[in-house]
Amino acid sequence: MKLASLKRASMGVVLAAVVGAASPAAAHHSFAMYEPTKTLTFKGTVKSFQWTNPHVILWVLVQPEDGGAPQEWSLETTSPGVLTRNGWTRQSLKAGDRVSVTFSPLRDGSRGGGLNSVTLLDTGQTLIPKFGKEEPGLK
Amino acid sequence: MLKRTHRIVVALSLIACARLAPLPANAADSDAINLPPSAQDWQALAKLPDWSGVWTPVISDQVAQEKTNRPPWTPQVAKQIDHMYAEEAAGRPFPIIDHCFPTGMPSWMLITHNAFEILLTPGRVTILGEGDGNRLRRIYTDGRPHPADPDPSFHGHSIGHWEKDTLVVDTVALLPQAYLAVNEAVGVPNNGDMHIIEHLHLGAPDTLLDDLDITSNKLLSKPWHTTRKYYRQRAKKYDIVEGVCTQGSFTDAVDKNGNAIFAPVQFHNGVPVGSDSK
Repeated sequence: MKLASLKRASMGVVLAAVVGAASPAAAHHSFAMYEPTKTLTFKGTVKSFQWTNPHVILWVLVQPEDGGAPQEWSLETTSPGVLTRNGWTRQSLKAGDRVSVTFSPLRDGSRGGGLNSVTLLDTGQTLIPKFGKEEPGLK
Repeated sequence: MLKRTHRIVVALSLIACARLAPLPANAADSDAINLPPSAQDWQALAKLPDWSGVWTPVISDQVAQEKTNRPPWTPQVAKQIDHMYAEEAAGRPFPIIDHCFPTGMPSWMLITHNAFEILLTPGRVTILGEGDGNRLRRIYTDGRPHPADPDPSFHGHSIGHWEKDTLVVDTVALLPQAYLAVNEAVGVPNNGDMHIIEHLHLGAPDTLLDDLDITSNKLLSKPWHTTRKYYRQRAKKYDIVEGVCTQGSFTDAVDKNGNAIFAPVQFHNGVPVGSDSK
């Protein structure tokens, strides 16, 4: 994915976000608003992969089963530092990637969720966000 | 009137002359607290314990302690805390850290999920945290006292001293808005009178322990003792990553002139949602 097209993809998010801004931003928060006992799985296309603290956000476009325009979903996960320690990089996902995402959705029905896993459909690679094993690491 | 004006002019002139006159050497020194370290000061660091590397919190232990070592909340505060737990269970977590201010003390040491590093320099211990903005503790070990009337801050004013291999830290002057939190959704502001004493030491060669004794007449019916555990990491992948909390509220964009800029993303009830979401 070239930088220019990545920026164009991001710009699409920006324009839509500015138009639809609903409430003040709140970047760092508990994940309790996601329903841990409920899991959804969608196939879609990565719109952008926001590699930011405190939470990384995967923006995915999902085609509704009943047709219509693709719907944008925000799937949050932990921080760049934690993901880096588990093999992720800011290049792990890029705009245009076809993916299958599994997540715990917001309880209020808004199109957002806490990411459980993402599989790249073209390669079969599955990425799981998690904290590493809790132990000292000296090498 | 003229005499009075004359007296004022003379007085102001005397003040001006006094300000222009060079200060006595001892007067200038009296304000100098960050003195240049001597060779012996640098050599003395070698005798301190090795706290190098990156330290990651043991989150499973945080969770376990939250369940087994509840702070002795006053009855009034306990009602707030119980309500917050109920709200968290219902999926409506209280926004303790959403504002992107520093997590502050003592919550940083208590509930962080992010790494930190510790720098030992003459007369000073500095803790630099990953995640959020401005996670930084300056602990003065040069023998200075707390200021008489320090400006309150998120991390407070900390002075420390070494007792063998243990760093004893005394922290006061916390902003009243700084939380005493037990998780990311449960906690209360300290409201102005919190005092923290910590004993930082190695519990094992690569395990750092922070024994905290927290006093707060406004929140606690008695002092609360708790311990937090951190593991040492040396791998490259554990290098501290810059974390600016508010960056998470923005995405990359390009303006009409082709400049790289940040633009806000849509949040709803505290979390990002799809742009065409309700």
